[in-house]
Amino acid sequence: MAAFLECGPFSARDGEGRVLFESTSLALDSGQFVTLEGASGSGKSTLLRHVTALERTTAAERSLGGASYREASLPEWRKRVTLIAQDAPMLPGSVRDNLIFPFAQRAGRSIEFAEAEAARRMSAVGLESLPFDRDVRTISGGERHRLALLRGLLWDPPVLVTDEPLAGLDPDTAARCFELLERFARRPGRLLLCALHDPDLNQRADLRLRLAGKRLEVV
Amino acid sequence: MGGLIQLGPLQLATATLLIVAAGVVSFALRLGIERRLGVAALRTTLQLGLLGLILERVFALSNPWLVFLLLVLMTVFAAREAVSRSSRRYRGILIDAWLTMAASCFLVGGIVTQVVVGVKPWYDPQYVIPLLGMILGNSLTGISLCLDRFMDHLETRAAEVELRVAFGATRSEALSTPLRDAVRTGMIPIINSMAAAGIVSLPGMMTGQILAGSPPLQAVAYQIVVMFMIAAAVASGAMLVVLLAGRRFMGSDAILRLDRLRAVGPPKA
Repeated sequence: MAAFLECGPFSARDGEGRVLFESTSLALDSGQFVTLEGASGSGKSTLLRHVTALERTTAAERSLGGASYREASLPEWRKRVTLIAQDAPMLPGSVRDNLIFPFAQRAGRSIEFAEAEAARRMSAVGLESLPFDRDVRTISGGERHRLALLRGLLWDPPVLVTDEPLAGLDPDTAARCFELLERFARRPGRLLLCALHDPDLNQRADLRLRLAGKRLEVV
Repeated sequence: MGGLIQLGPLQLATATLLIVAAGVVSFALRLGIERRLGVAALRTTLQLGLLGLILERVFALSNPWLVFLLLVLMTVFAAREAVSRSSRRYRGILIDAWLTMAASCFLVGGIVTQVVVGVKPWYDPQYVIPLLGMILGNSLTGISLCLDRFMDHLETRAAEVELRVAFGATRSEALSTPLRDAVRTGMIPIINSMAAAGIVSLPGMMTGQILAGSPPLQAVAYQIVVMFMIAAAVASGAMLVVLLAGRRFMGSDAILRLDRLRAVGPPKA
């Protein structure tokens, strides 16, 4: 039987033309917390960008829950397989603008943005003191990372793909955020793919993948 | 048409002293732009001289095909100039710029010459060529600013564009902010010159008409038509050119193709 999420094969090279990975495919079942490990520069971010269809591929197929996505339906794919990028990019504007913008796009217009829920979740990631109308240019790097994580959790796609979501967080906050991610992942019809290099936290994953020697292996 | 003072070689030679004076300033202050000033002055003389000869010929023949050919050539040169001012390129930029120039200038120029002014016959070179020339000259500034800003936005704010894409934005949603930013930038010069017209600056065309003996109010009427025409051409041209450019950088799959962008050094002044 086909897995919940299937995509690939992906191949990529770095800026110098060195092969990062070749003909790499993923097949993952739902309800799992999956980590992606690998030395820095091994191509983890690039692989996550391929999974979330932000990089051009020639031969890749993508299917989720039996439905397949290609070309013009890739925006639909990203609506369901959403990347939280490593550098936690923000749109110019307020904290609120940044949480709400996905729900104003065509992909999210049918979903309602639950402001009360958002406010409650702000404290779950330790941002209770951050007002919704704060200009995002004035918030710290750690706050930005947690805001990006919260945005992904509020969006609540079937598959959340996160790239080093705990980078730059103090151990306490990192632990709280990790628990939120775990709770997100272990629900039916949900999947979390997370690049993470914390030896202790990685132990708690349901499946550990490692990118090494140009291929993906199960740890 | 009374009182038009003819300019001959002697008058032009006297005017040359002015550019020599500018050169002396550059030399005295060691600005190092004497050469460029000289080349620019020479280009002005040659290009305008050539244009004058061509126009004399075209006016004399008054052939619709010749007028049309000249207009098409003008759009090609305008497109080349618009592209050369940009600090970034992509494959097909010249075609996009030319299509935009041709479309917006023929559309707006057509409305102005045929409907507003009502030129008869339709190709009367005395009206059609200078009016189209003015649209092209201003569109070219607008379009090059707009294209440059669009590519700059895509490159420097790629993370924002991709953030929208990552949450399922379609191409038009992902490109809407860069597009608006670029069109706004392209529109600034014409908005500024409309706002300053008559107070800060006496627009060149109006000045020319007055010098040639037109009643000032007639010159003003033409200038207003020209300003509106330029604004319409710049607005439609800017929008069209970024729509065309946008298709090069993002297909229906909404993947941002910055690999298609290449820098070509600092923009020409």
